[in-house]
Amino acid sequence: MQPFIHTQDLVKQYALGSVTVPALRNVTLSMDKGEFATICGPSGSGKTTLLNLLGFIDSPSSGKVYFEGAEIRYNGLSHLHRLRLEKIGFIFQTFNLIPVLSAYENVEYPLLLTKKSARERRTLVEKILREVKLWDWRNHKPNELSGGQRQRVAIARALVNNPGLVLADEPTANIDSATAAEILDLMRTLNEEDRVTFLFSTHDPTVVAYAKRIIRLHDGAIVTEKA
Amino acid sequence: MFKFIKLATKNVFRNRRRTIITGLVLVFGATALILAGGFISFSFRGLSENTIRSQLGHIQVYHDGFFDREEEKPLELGLDSVDALKAKIATTPHVRFSMARVEFMGLLSNGDKSAVFVGRGVEPEPEMTLSGNRTPVDTGAFLGQNPAGSLDAEVVVARGLAKSLKARVGDYLTLMTTTSKGALNAMDVKVVGIYSTGVPEYDERALMVDLRTAQQLLVTRRVSKLVVVLDQTENTRAVTASLAAMLPGTALRRWDELATFYKAVVQLYSAIFAFLGVIIFVIVVLSSSNTMMMSIFERTKEIGTQLAVGTSRLRLMVNFLYEGLMVGVFGGALGLAVAAGLAGLINSSGLRMPPPPGGTQGYPLNVDLVPGVFVGVFLLIVVTTVLSTIMPAVRASRMKIVDALGHV
Repeated sequence: MQPFIHTQDLVKQYALGSVTVPALRNVTLSMDKGEFATICGPSGSGKTTLLNLLGFIDSPSSGKVYFEGAEIRYNGLSHLHRLRLEKIGFIFQTFNLIPVLSAYENVEYPLLLTKKSARERRTLVEKILREVKLWDWRNHKPNELSGGQRQRVAIARALVNNPGLVLADEPTANIDSATAAEILDLMRTLNEEDRVTFLFSTHDPTVVAYAKRIIRLHDGAIVTEKA
Repeated sequence: MFKFIKLATKNVFRNRRRTIITGLVLVFGATALILAGGFISFSFRGLSENTIRSQLGHIQVYHDGFFDREEEKPLELGLDSVDALKAKIATTPHVRFSMARVEFMGLLSNGDKSAVFVGRGVEPEPEMTLSGNRTPVDTGAFLGQNPAGSLDAEVVVARGLAKSLKARVGDYLTLMTTTSKGALNAMDVKVVGIYSTGVPEYDERALMVDLRTAQQLLVTRRVSKLVVVLDQTENTRAVTASLAAMLPGTALRRWDELATFYKAVVQLYSAIFAFLGVIIFVIVVLSSSNTMMMSIFERTKEIGTQLAVGTSRLRLMVNFLYEGLMVGVFGGALGLAVAAGLAGLINSSGLRMPPPPGGTQGYPLNVDLVPGVFVGVFLLIVVTTVLSTIMPAVRASRMKIVDALGHV
């Protein structure tokens, strides 16, 4: 059976003036559907770069990425928006909610980009907001919510389109440890109950402990993997 | 679409102070254009009606050779059978009445001093009707209004000419001119009134006598032209076409073909209005695009997020264009309301404009509320605002997602 995601000799280099800085070095990685994995490593190890490439928001310098068995063509990136919309959910360290929209509207936003009717959108938004226990807060704007609540809105937004893969870049870095535990519990529950594949980056050992699979990066290369 | 317009509206009011400043620029632009357009419309309307009422009528009927040949003797190319022509003209729909005029030139003398005059023989009653029954004299009376039984030939003299000859109401002057046969003729006339034409140069030379007096002096039954007055100025073209078919051997001219001053004013004001429009277009473009650029800069990370969660670059660009559209709609609509209010205020203020160049009389300051100008200005503001959003919107849609997400 083909892996859900597979990368082959993935390389990403950045040009800083006349100097080329390697961010990823020949990363080969496979993930199956329903995994709950973390990429960990120190700052600058390439965690965010790997997530960006797997989320199709950046293109590799070389190497290949296969998603659901199909090779991803990165040229131009603009054609990948539908893939991101339908297959990928993003959770950001700083939540990245749209400040003028309420919690409900933020979660609804990705659905507006689809052809779903108003009724369908409402059903999906209500379901996910109830799952993340924010239905009663649906009319609040992001600045009226706590850090943990904002991240739960971000999780709801990432999941509302029922994506196969959720990528979370340091999702607990901007919240306290108790709230972080709540968020990780929520993510794990969604993983177990809905079989959503989670891949999140962190450098916090307590967060790493939640993962069922740990991928350690150092200087852009995978140094160890532990399931 | 509605959901995205709602989002655009929320984004527009995200930074209220900046939106208000941009909105004020749009309101100022819309108001300036509407008031200028309304004032120009009022000026055109006033000037056209004034031109028609004070001298030209709506249509003038001439001998068909009048505009092609030079007369060797006065009224050589005048109209005969005036009554028959008038009767035919009277049967045409929209014609209120017609009247004859004789144009002639000569010398006016008080016995001690002579001055060149440009005279007009008129039918006093229809002339009065044309001018809205306002006596077209400043001092004394108009022609034909003296006590019955007066046998004196009458003249009304323009202010400058009267001053030059020290003529007052009741004085007798002598008109001298060349007759239609080429001989010299003279006639004593009594000054019954002094008037102003509104044009200082013309005031130095003009006078009016009764049509019969002019014909007696020129020894002819011909007239220079017939002036046709209609019920509505808008009917001028249609009636001109009807009369052209009905009156062979004549040449017809509409008032707007004869009114050279009116045409010059229309051209000048239209150019000023267009120039004003260009200035406001530039101001709106600069202001709106600057606002949008700042907004995009502040929302760089948000743009990155929207692209990351699956927004297409086209969708993102359209969303920004919606924001420009909403700013234009709000600013334009508010501009229309402010302009309408200000126009009402100006129209009820009783303010007067100084005399125009070459004129001697001021006129009320009024602003027409022209639906076409309102619609045009609103569309200009909206379209301009949307156009000025295009560049920033394209720039936003082309951002690299990872760079935008990393923006601090």
